[in-house]
Amino acid sequence: MIQDQRLSQQEATATLPRLQRSAIPWANPNWLVIGVVVVLALLLPWVTLRLAGGRFITHLIITFFVWGIVTQCWNLIMGVSGIYSFGQMALYAVGGWTTGILALHFGWNPLISIWLAPIAAAIAALIIGLPTLRLRGVYVVLLTLAFHELLRNYVVNGPTIISGGGYGLRDVPKLGFDQFGGGWEILLYYYFGLTLFGIATYAIWRILHSPIGLAFRALRDSEDYAVSRGVDRFRFKLFLFAFSAFFTGLAGGFMTHYQGAASPSLLSFGVIINLLAMIVLGGWGTFWGPIVGTAILTVLPEVLRSAEAYRNLTLGIVLALIAVLAPRGLVPLLAQAVRNLRQRLRKPEAPR
Amino acid sequence: MEQLFQTIYSGILYGSVYGLMALGLTLIWGSLRMLNLAHGSLYLVGGYLAWTIIDQLHLPLVLAFLLAVAGAALVGLIMQVVLINPLLGKPGWDNASLIATVGASIVLESAALLIYGPQVKQMPTVVEGQFKIGTVLISNQALLVIATAVLFLILMSLFLRISRHGLAIRAISQDMDAARLAGVPARTAFLIVMCISAALAGLAGVLLSSIFYLAPTSGFVPMVKALVVTIFGGLGSVKGTIWAAYTIGLLEAALQVYLGASWALPGLFLFMIVMLTVRPNGLFGLGEARRL
Repeated sequence: MIQDQRLSQQEATATLPRLQRSAIPWANPNWLVIGVVVVLALLLPWVTLRLAGGRFITHLIITFFVWGIVTQCWNLIMGVSGIYSFGQMALYAVGGWTTGILALHFGWNPLISIWLAPIAAAIAALIIGLPTLRLRGVYVVLLTLAFHELLRNYVVNGPTIISGGGYGLRDVPKLGFDQFGGGWEILLYYYFGLTLFGIATYAIWRILHSPIGLAFRALRDSEDYAVSRGVDRFRFKLFLFAFSAFFTGLAGGFMTHYQGAASPSLLSFGVIINLLAMIVLGGWGTFWGPIVGTAILTVLPEVLRSAEAYRNLTLGIVLALIAVLAPRGLVPLLAQAVRNLRQRLRKPEAPR
Repeated sequence: MEQLFQTIYSGILYGSVYGLMALGLTLIWGSLRMLNLAHGSLYLVGGYLAWTIIDQLHLPLVLAFLLAVAGAALVGLIMQVVLINPLLGKPGWDNASLIATVGASIVLESAALLIYGPQVKQMPTVVEGQFKIGTVLISNQALLVIATAVLFLILMSLFLRISRHGLAIRAISQDMDAARLAGVPARTAFLIVMCISAALAGLAGVLLSSIFYLAPTSGFVPMVKALVVTIFGGLGSVKGTIWAAYTIGLLEAALQVYLGASWALPGLFLFMIVMLTVRPNGLFGLGEARRL
């Protein structure tokens, strides 16, 4: 499928005139900004680990990486291509359990088995996607929820090797970073998470700014028109589903080894709601939305720890408010505000 | 033979209550084109209000019943006015309405958790007594639940077929633009639909929690089952929904009796997956044109 895409791209460039550079702003990125961000990200743990409670802050950033990958992938499905799939956590769990079981019960080296997590998740996505993606709207919600509940039921009641008697996987071997000494362990986890996050983010950015991404936006905005222009709905959706499952499964696998456990509570409805809130808050269908939303909703609950009991209530109110006041989310709202501000700053100069 | 009888008895009991839940969902979908994920929370509102009135305030039963249903309808009304009305006719309706209802459901569920705590609540039985047919134990309470549910299902279909508002709702769900051109006030109809749907969910909450227990999370499973029923019956079709409710109820009961209770939900979902793959338009396959 990817091969086809490449072929047709080559054909396209062979017959059509090249696009102007200014028409494809993503082809010349701002290397300075990217370089600064990468260097800052590399240096960050050296700073946070010196702070009071530094280990916990670093741990928070690592969880941000993991949920950031998952929300970006889910946003690709929900926001960009308009498939109302609620099966993302199921794919995450498939990844987590695959590598967890291989390492725990079959004695695989976690550094090897972790790479089977994304493959297993992508295969699961193909299995779920085949019946699901031919349907649309509410039917997709229900069918993906059905798969999710089936998996949850299996993980809770299934054979002991999977369910661990209802506790999930415990004492899963870690990635073996502790052999370098206690201080290095969390640092290496940070860099591992950062690398995964960086690769996933780049891949998603690349997908969004490619003919494939364009096709998805066309499908979301006007399915009939896109199809009439030759976009193969089912194949594109299936590809995106498997693609997003790949990175989601990888995130799941990483988290299982990082925490040394995988609990069935990962598959509770609350987790789904939390992830959905991250995407909606940031702005779904946008590139930055899920990243910003995940950052806010990873930090905020820790700041508001004293108000733990009201956490869900606040989350619900925020969701409802966003839906009514800013249905497109915070990122588009801020972008609009910045644009307005710039225009207002420019206007006084115009008459001269 | 006894197993068969047990299956039929439980199936009719489940089917009646699922019918009430699913009818509310299908009405909303048919007219507003909205998947109301707060439906399970409205179920909770009904259940908890009834529990509070009977168990805490010791008020008479009929009053509790009426107040609980009215309370759920009121919550539905507030939801419609505060959350859904501002979204009507705006771009991105699918996304925004889905998120708004998810938000409402979280608010209601966490409010229930804050007010009532995570402990399980048990409603006192209304009618005492039970009798045996063979080895199957039938309680008068369950019979009362079935009777009430069936009564309201009949009332609802009559309302949709005969009354002015019912006709307006059906007209809107068949062709929104034509109905508005003919002078049907869409917003009023939406408001009525939401109130009725919430009342039905609340009613289901009162009835089902008088048999099972009540906890802040116990709205989710009935809602998912109602979703299965609505989709099985073909979204937006009242006749299909009622047939589907009893079919699903009997299927669930059969799975419980013959395979064990832990098979009920996964069995339903497997059935659902197969069904949607084979017949994506539901049992009656009405498609988009003929609804309600």
